[in-house]
Amino acid sequence: MRRMRWAAVLACVVVVGASSAAGSDAAPAAPTKLTIWVGWSARELGVFKQVVAEYDKNNPNVTVNVVGSINDNKIVAAIRAGTAPDVVSSFNSYNVGTYCGSGGWINLAPLMAQSHISASMFPPATRYYTQYNGVRCALPLLADTYGLYYNKDLFAKAGIKSPPKTMSELAADAKKLTVRSSSGKISVAGFDPFIGFYENTPERWITSFGGKWQDAKGNAILAQDPAWSKWLNWHKSLVDWYGYSNLVKFQAGLGDEFSASNAFEAGKLAMNFDGEWRVAFIQAEHPNLNYATAPMPVDDAHPELYGQGYINGTIIGIPKGGKNQAAAWDLVKYLTTNSHALAELSNGLRNVPTTTASGRSPEIKPDVHFSTFIKIFNNMHSTTSPITAAGVSYTNLVQQFATKWQAGQVKNLQAGLTQLDKQLDALVNQAKGPGVP
Amino acid sequence: MSQGSVAGERLPAAVLTVDRRRARRRAAWRRRGLVLLFLSPWLVGFTLFFAYPLVTSAYLSFNHYDLLSPPRWVGWANYHYLFREDPQVWTAVKNTLWLIVVLVPLQVLFAFGLAVMVTRAKMGVGVFRTVFYLPALAPPVAATLGFVYILNPVTGPVNVILSHLGIQGPLWFQDPHWSKPSLVGLGLWGVGTVMVIFLAAVLDVPRQLYESSELDGAGAWARLRWVTLPTISPVLLFAVVLGVIQALQYFTQAYVAAGVASGQASQAADVTSVSLGYPLDSTLFYPVLLYQHGFTDFQMGYASAMAMLLLGVSFAVTLVIIVNSRKWVHYGGATR
Amino acid sequence: MTSATATPDAATFVRRKPPRAVRRRRFLVTVADHSILIAAGIMFLAPFIFITLTALMSNDQALSARLWPHPFEWSNFADVFTKAPFMTWVGNTLEYSILATIGVVVSSVPVAYAFAKLHWRGRDAVFIVVLVALMLPPQVTVVPLYVMWAKFHPFGFNFIGTLWPVIIPNWFGDAFSIFLLRQFFLTIPDEYLDAARVDGCGEVKILVTVVARLAKPAIAAVALFSFLYTFNDFFLPLLYTGENSGHWVLSIGLSEFRSLHQVQWNLTMAATLLVMAPVIVVFFLAQKAFVEGVTLTGVKG
Repeated sequence: MRRMRWAAVLACVVVVGASSAAGSDAAPAAPTKLTIWVGWSARELGVFKQVVAEYDKNNPNVTVNVVGSINDNKIVAAIRAGTAPDVVSSFNSYNVGTYCGSGGWINLAPLMAQSHISASMFPPATRYYTQYNGVRCALPLLADTYGLYYNKDLFAKAGIKSPPKTMSELAADAKKLTVRSSSGKISVAGFDPFIGFYENTPERWITSFGGKWQDAKGNAILAQDPAWSKWLNWHKSLVDWYGYSNLVKFQAGLGDEFSASNAFEAGKLAMNFDGEWRVAFIQAEHPNLNYATAPMPVDDAHPELYGQGYINGTIIGIPKGGKNQAAAWDLVKYLTTNSHALAELSNGLRNVPTTTASGRSPEIKPDVHFSTFIKIFNNMHSTTSPITAAGVSYTNLVQQFATKWQAGQVKNLQAGLTQLDKQLDALVNQAKGPGVP
Repeated sequence: MSQGSVAGERLPAAVLTVDRRRARRRAAWRRRGLVLLFLSPWLVGFTLFFAYPLVTSAYLSFNHYDLLSPPRWVGWANYHYLFREDPQVWTAVKNTLWLIVVLVPLQVLFAFGLAVMVTRAKMGVGVFRTVFYLPALAPPVAATLGFVYILNPVTGPVNVILSHLGIQGPLWFQDPHWSKPSLVGLGLWGVGTVMVIFLAAVLDVPRQLYESSELDGAGAWARLRWVTLPTISPVLLFAVVLGVIQALQYFTQAYVAAGVASGQASQAADVTSVSLGYPLDSTLFYPVLLYQHGFTDFQMGYASAMAMLLLGVSFAVTLVIIVNSRKWVHYGGATR
Repeated sequence: MTSATATPDAATFVRRKPPRAVRRRRFLVTVADHSILIAAGIMFLAPFIFITLTALMSNDQALSARLWPHPFEWSNFADVFTKAPFMTWVGNTLEYSILATIGVVVSSVPVAYAFAKLHWRGRDAVFIVVLVALMLPPQVTVVPLYVMWAKFHPFGFNFIGTLWPVIIPNWFGDAFSIFLLRQFFLTIPDEYLDAARVDGCGEVKILVTVVARLAKPAIAAVALFSFLYTFNDFFLPLLYTGENSGHWVLSIGLSEFRSLHQVQWNLTMAATLLVMAPVIVVFFLAQKAFVEGVTLTGVKG
């Protein structure tokens, strides 16, 4: 790491000299060294590096150094300290509010106009989570959608023919598929809805009930929108059926989510709510697993929602204070709009490509499991979570409430949700600072 | 003009010639220079790393500051949110106070009890002392990781052994009612340092005091109560103050335990702020919340407001303890 | 000792064995005492044993309810070094601890001397200020300090992401060490110092030659405690190097161990042992200094 940093420092010195000579905002003429930070690691990082290597080959005047395992804290720390790289990418879009609002990531609109990139190249949901208050400081780089994975062998054993489409079917199937002792000790869980377990978070669940977070003015409406209490009540009844401590004990004995001992991959979980990337993981780690994918079940009262899912994705942007903004933009443009690059990344990472064009690219390797997620991505009811000035704390606060609810610590759900709304609004005001609209 | 004890006898002023007086003044200045020189590391450090940050902290607490843009004056807004609207602050305060009221006395008593037991041992005193001291050497992160694993409700040795004995072990770090007691267990495991201090202090109690109280007919418990305790009361005070200071800063064990126990080992789910305080905010202590608001939520102004509150509480608590101590601490000897 | 009121048998007093009942009771009490001590000792050693056993298990065994590894995976310890940049962490930790310890000793000794053996107006009041600084949690000053280091870019050097913000303050005196050293210096008889002064030694020379030699145990204790404290430090390194894994110290690396390359409990426990080991080894080598130092802290405190 230290060697790379010294190399980067040296490179920056060279680049400062070179770019001050170049000066124009066309593609730079002198050899440039760019650093890009991404969240991927291990196998996935390898895939990304391959795509970047292709860009390197086609652009001999640029060398790109890829650094993986980045998270938002690292990005913010670097921007604060003035050590941010040329291009930065994050798995979470939650903090777009802060990045765009503070200018930590630069406004890409002028660069896009110059390169004739229109925002309509990207589907609506992805456009939403890459801007804040009209300032677009990020572009989507592959998206994640969430759906239901189910183990076909366990389904056959339990005599279930097709995946559940409604929440009541999901609950019924989960109970049928669960193997537990008379004392309640779970050995195989049909479905683990526990908030906080693996990918179970409120924002990913609420889309199945058509729930809305905020009204037109940006105030939280969790108490007014009946979808929230409907979801929370359904959810708690399933948790209570298992028994809260039984679930906790079951989870304590499970493998790490991103290891080969993942509970679904190991057959301890018959159905799992997971993202589209799991397809690639299963292929690499448990290729013989007999499973299938389907959209998440939806609220019984809203069958028209079936086929939708929660969308979020990796975002990419250019931190302020970077010295090679022209070269950086070139790389960003390539990664986000070039159909070939997106198709390759999609094939390797099994993430959803984020331009409408690349979604139809013939280069995408057909995969019956993965195609479910592309369909979910393009479904018109699929939504994402709200972008606010409070960043990830917004959805975290809701998650904390949901975990208290599932533990039985909230006596009156409606009152709790009303108080939660107040806390959410206060949180956003606090994050913005008073006197800011 | 200060009269130091360095060099020179004192002479009545009338006897001093002008030269002598000038020489003494120079000497006094040299002394002052010397003192300043010797104190300089601390003086600079105190100003740079303590006084200046303290004042700046107070200033920042009235600003909205995320370090990405310049500070913006917001008056009392941060304090308003702190006292009225932050949904987690009072849990954090309660948890930290819980530590002061439960963990510190338990640690002091346990360390004292162990020390007394070791003094009663006839053989293997060195061995016992070493065994009790060893865990205190373990780095807090390592010790916490070890404990989280050992207390895993399903695969941890403790619950496995308990189940062999027919007892259904609690969920330890996974249960909001048991997570703080688990941290207490971790804290008690590490009392070695305090125990050794108590050991030395108890051994220092003059024998005559014991002997004279024995002659008065005092049994073992009475001797403990009326001879040992009062004599070592300054050390007791030291241990209590030390414990309280540590309780007010308690961060590492809570941060590591919550992070590991909540299973947030995955990178895609890098929402660490959800795991802090796991489970259900039971391990959310004030310094942990401060860290979250300041360093993961970009709210440095608000974190400074929290820091000011912590400052006030630290002062108050330490003052209360020290003032209260006059009633029970005896310096230099026992009662009766 | 003669006494006018000696009992008639005083001269011929012979210690007799106490009656059997008393002897038996005393024996039972001793057995009870030692049983309690042994039980406590086992409780104290148990975690070490469990950690060691887990460190020797395979990953699946660590995830199961088994207590005894079967077979013993000694390779786990080697794996720790390959699966994670353990040596980098060790290097960083040593760099931090050694530099900080030297800084603490070099800067705290003169300050403590000034409080103990030099006389000046306001000395005791300022000493109370030193103590007050000791009592405040670091979280109180942590935000502005971070801002200060983030904004300070001499010659373009960035302090955030390195260990320097954690090391440098130790070169300006450490309140606890100053306290300890002062208490010890107070016990040095003034005669030694006066003799040296009469010989014409300046205060600096006195400090370096006379005092330092006399206070060796206290200085050793201070160095030992500093080393231990910085070796175990987590919060400050987390703040400044948390986002820069190349500069992680052992405590941070260990806490992040489980999320790196999806490594499992058995390796985590092996890493835990490896982190605990050096300190324990140092303890056994320097037992006397340790215990003396700890005693100094409390009894002179």
